[in-house]
Amino acid sequence: MAAADQRTSRARWTPFLFLLPFLFFFLLFWVIPLVGGIKMSLQANGLGQAEYVGFAHYKALASDGRYVTALRNSFTYTMGSIVVIVPLALWLAHLLRATYRRLRPVMTFALLLPALTPPSVLAVLFLMVFHGKNGLLNQLFVMPLGLEPVSWLKDPDFILSGLVLQTVWRWTGFMTFFILAGMEGIPRVYYEAASLATASRWQHFWHVTLPQLWPVLLFVAVYLVVDGFSLFSGAFVLLGGSGGTADAGLLTVTYVFQKTRFFEYGTASAISVSLLPLMTLALWSALFLRRRTA
Amino acid sequence: MSGQGKTVRGALSLLLLGPFLMAVFVPFLWMVLGIFKTNAEFFQPLTRAFFPAHYEWQKAVCLPVALPHNVVELLEGKWVPFWDVFGNSLAISLGQAFGAVTLSAMAGYAFARFTFSGKRLLFVLAVALILVPRQLFVVPLFSWVNELGLSDSLLGVMLPGVVTGLGVIYFTQVFRQVPEEYLQAARVCGAAELRVFLTVLPLVWPALLSYGVIHFILAWHEHLIPMLVLTSETKQTLPLALAKLYDVSQRTPQGVQMAASTFAVIPTTVLFAVCHRKFKSSLSDMLVH
Repeated sequence: MAAADQRTSRARWTPFLFLLPFLFFFLLFWVIPLVGGIKMSLQANGLGQAEYVGFAHYKALASDGRYVTALRNSFTYTMGSIVVIVPLALWLAHLLRATYRRLRPVMTFALLLPALTPPSVLAVLFLMVFHGKNGLLNQLFVMPLGLEPVSWLKDPDFILSGLVLQTVWRWTGFMTFFILAGMEGIPRVYYEAASLATASRWQHFWHVTLPQLWPVLLFVAVYLVVDGFSLFSGAFVLLGGSGGTADAGLLTVTYVFQKTRFFEYGTASAISVSLLPLMTLALWSALFLRRRTA
Repeated sequence: MSGQGKTVRGALSLLLLGPFLMAVFVPFLWMVLGIFKTNAEFFQPLTRAFFPAHYEWQKAVCLPVALPHNVVELLEGKWVPFWDVFGNSLAISLGQAFGAVTLSAMAGYAFARFTFSGKRLLFVLAVALILVPRQLFVVPLFSWVNELGLSDSLLGVMLPGVVTGLGVIYFTQVFRQVPEEYLQAARVCGAAELRVFLTVLPLVWPALLSYGVIHFILAWHEHLIPMLVLTSETKQTLPLALAKLYDVSQRTPQGVQMAASTFAVIPTTVLFAVCHRKFKSSLSDMLVH
């Protein structure tokens, strides 16, 4: 009996022993900066300022056109990349499964290359190869059609789609890899059962593959949302830290960065904090979807 | 399905995949070829001057091999202290990956294998961690890192990166799949819980490796936090050095830029190529279940 008691009392603190290192760093580098950010957002702008100003920054943001633009751009950019990447990655994964088994690893790996490349390099390659007057997009597609070469980084109508295109180029292969791994984990029995029910190829996809892949697709979407709202490097190199012409490519992190440059720490933090409810909403809707489909 | 039908389908998929593979691969080929180009060649329309006119090799002073002129210039540190920068990036990314794997594996083990009060709340917090991009809180993080006395130190970039919600969730899932019998066997032998954990680790090494690789790649790409924390030139990381090389006001030859870009891609690519297979099978095991 005594041994059992000892065991339970030991069992009570062991999990925390395992959690301790994580919790320590979590507190140190996540909770403290977060609280610091919230505090900063209630203080006056400027270096070393600690004057309490209440919700003044938030009120100012509500009527700040650039803030609204940045938010809208980030939202459009994120949704745009999800809407393109998820179906494209599904399709590519499907094609990779249909093609020669021997070539599959090489091709998957080739598709992954952009995801392995630092975003700043990616931005430059993308700029040179696809964009610009001499870029392939203009040279091979736009100009042969007899149109004026598109100035992707200056024309406000094209800046955001340029950023989306860059993200598609960057992440599609990576997501294809995830989906492919997920597809290969689906037990064969399910397909055999579907075949017995003389299901068509499309029905296989719709009734077996897709439901089984839900968790993967959800993960992909959440990842893209978070990445979309934290995009910095790519836009920074392409647009030099500005929002581009008429702020058409102004994203939230870029805006935070701009505010920081002028030591408007209060405003910068208020922007960051204001995004928290949005992120939480994304999380809960993802969890909700998962629960409903599980 | 007949053998022939399969071949036709294979060929058709290959045909459809072709353009995508090209779209991914051509820019990288162009990058590597760019090392040999002069500035004038470099800015020609791609369709006209994709390949360089000459491939020139030159003996490097520090290395016993012949390298393209621009690579030699880069390695000799004419534009940025390349070896320092490369070493910093490597140290930060390796340290961060190792730290993240250790912390997340331990936390994941606790979440997967124990019931304790507050577990649900802590787990939700770990999930929330994924959703709040660190980039958004760089300013308070930066001032806090300063207060800790870690400004302009590699540790100031490395340590904040070891906390990862994704890792915790991943390892929780991984340790859930370890059969209970293994743990019981170790416990019966009277092993302390930490000992049990260490015995299980070899069982899940593909997962440890996979997550380590992913985290290494993310750390290798990090731009904003190093930019704020690291100020002296020899403490910079690769993304910072690259941004500097790309800056038009520096007038760095395009060939040198492309050489640096190529070097920035090599470590992550090699690492991934080596672990590719392990990585995928460990993902397949986990994702669907």
